Amino acid sequence: MTIRNVHDCGQRHRPRVACLKKVEALVLEMQDPTSGVKSQTQRLVITTIPHALTGEDVVAWIAKRFNVDAAEGCAIGTMMVAFGYIYPLRDHKRLILKSDASLYRFQTPYFWPAQQWPVEDTDYAIYLAKRNIRKNGVLELHEQEQYNNLHKWLNHKWDFIVMQAKEQYRAGKERKKPDRVVFDCQERAYWVVHRPPPGSVSAMDLGLLRLIDPNQEESETSDYFRRIIIFTEQCIMRPRVKSSVSLGANPWLTDDPAYWDLNSLTIDNPTRMRVERWTFSFGELLSDPRGRDGFRLFLKKEFSSENLAFWEACEAVKWGTASTIHEKAQQIYKTFLARGAPRWINIDGKTMEVTVRGLKHPHRYVLDAAQTHIYMLMKKDKYGRYLKSPVYMDYQRRATDPEAHNFTETQLAQNAKNRRPSLSPIILRQQEEEQQAKLEASGPVDLTQVMSKLDKRNMLKEGQK
Amino acid sequence: MNRWRRSVGELQARRQQVTECEQALAALSKVTACFQQMASSLGSNTDGSGLREELADIRAMAHRIYTGLHKRLITLLTEMEQRQEDREQVERLWVLFLSSLETFQKDLQKTSSLQELFPLTQRRDRSTLIKTGYSGGSEVAARAATVQTPWVSGEEERCPDLQKQISRMDSLLQEMLQTVNVPVWTVEATQEAWLEVGKEEHHDDETLEDLMQVEVISQDSTTTGCCHHLNCRLGCLLCLVN
Repeated sequence: MTIRNVHDCGQRHRPRVACLKKVEALVLEMQDPTSGVKSQTQRLVITTIPHALTGEDVVAWIAKRFNVDAAEGCAIGTMMVAFGYIYPLRDHKRLILKSDASLYRFQTPYFWPAQQWPVEDTDYAIYLAKRNIRKNGVLELHEQEQYNNLHKWLNHKWDFIVMQAKEQYRAGKERKKPDRVVFDCQERAYWVVHRPPPGSVSAMDLGLLRLIDPNQEESETSDYFRRIIIFTEQCIMRPRVKSSVSLGANPWLTDDPAYWDLNSLTIDNPTRMRVERWTFSFGELLSDPRGRDGFRLFLKKEFSSENLAFWEACEAVKWGTASTIHEKAQQIYKTFLARGAPRWINIDGKTMEVTVRGLKHPHRYVLDAAQTHIYMLMKKDKYGRYLKSPVYMDYQRRATDPEAHNFTETQLAQNAKNRRPSLSPIILRQQEEEQQAKLEASGPVDLTQVMSKLDKRNMLKEGQK
Repeated sequence: MNRWRRSVGELQARRQQVTECEQALAALSKVTACFQQMASSLGSNTDGSGLREELADIRAMAHRIYTGLHKRLITLLTEMEQRQEDREQVERLWVLFLSSLETFQKDLQKTSSLQELFPLTQRRDRSTLIKTGYSGGSEVAARAATVQTPWVSGEEERCPDLQKQISRMDSLLQEMLQTVNVPVWTVEATQEAWLEVGKEEHHDDETLEDLMQVEVISQDSTTTGCCHHLNCRLGCLLCLVN
């Protein structure tokens, strides 16, 4: 009745049973009363519970057993914790083995990960309902979301889930207090492994869904060889230059968002690499929004920013929705192309004729000719001057050089805790629009506007005379 | 006149049967919950022949309940004259029973493989039992023993051994899915989400964090908290290393 998902990530082709079986054998060895891991007593306020292990004991045992050094032993131990064979008693959400005095305990075999018993959503729903039933039990955000999801999808057996949760809770209460604590810890650890909180790396992550069987021999037809040839050609084609320039701390490894902040769209001092990239070609400058901002500033000083504005408006027509093409094109004609327009651009007569004729029946690429003309104008004339201008020199001077990270372990842990979601794209779009409005509201930026203002002033003066 | 009296009698009998089935479902839930709690100690240091016998007893009790419930639900569902509310209730019971059986079967499978992994036939097998920190006890088994079937027992067969029970349950589930045509998705939950929060009576229920508070032995503790965590109210850990 329960629909079994076939999203087993290719496990039916290459199951991980062997890996888990090896860890199980290791865990069984660790139990030996003479040669196994030393166990201690955990002292709690209410009682004492035996069979606690310290991290350093586990690491020492593994290192001796496999004849490896302590770092390797720690890595193997972390793998055991990540799979859920040993669980930490403090800081239960971080599944690593610390080789100090922090305490761990063995997980009961009922909660071991195993290939043949896939983890069921029904059990997770029962567990969440049990947590709800317990007084002072508050679910975390991701657990609440899961709960709501499960309530929707398992609605037909929801009564059974709640009934079973209540009965399991009552049965659990019958036990003695230390046993209850142990069982609750075990269950919690089991679900941390199998339903990890978002943002954490899970050892039970089986990767992508494989649709073909990797164990199957592929027949060597001409199609097979053709694909191999294409693949190797593409590999050769890719540029293989690796730079040793420091890009700053990798945010995926150190949880430090400084890299993204430095490369954002609204930063005042872009990084050196970004500033240099603008010198490669005009296309590079225009494709980086920050580069375009700098270029716009330069053009404003020269009172010729109608070119860039026209180019951007044409891009908006090309990439915008089909319903807005007509009105956008009309707006552009009124602002840039018409005789006596406020921001008249300087294109040759033939292009102007072609464009105006096309605007009678506007389509997406109607302004292409004019846009190309303006693009070439900017590239041949303004671009070169920009790269020698004081605006650009200023950018080069102020460019920052990000350094590689030197965070300590504790700082990395702190970074991981301070992870926050980035700004919503809706907010970013609003900020962009506000910026554009501010730009338009600022003073005259084109020659025609300046000339028209001067004309108006002259006329006023003559009028007064 | 006779016909009317007969149908009233039938209605009452039917209603009584439906309540019996609901009680049986509750009893089955209780038994399977106890089974799960006890199966979690399999392979741990409290495992032993005593635990396995208790598990077998609980299994047998569950077998009695679910075979009887299965027979009664089948007869209820295949009777011809049914009214609308009755039919919905019985279908709901059917779906809940199906889910209950599936979960119990999974527990049985886990139990079977764990009992194979930790055979307790020889003395030296006890050295590989996992040290989980349990101290054991038969409180849960005592709770399971208080469950009774709501009908008079006597006509059922004896409970088969574990493997046979699992395979018979397989065929039972298959048969259940094929004989009666009950669309599973039509059943809706009778209670809303989040309704069970804090419903059980608890006198001294604390959170797991409170229970795990470490006893501070050293009086002159230099650090009052573990210091790395924001919500830390826990005592010093250094006392454990002595």
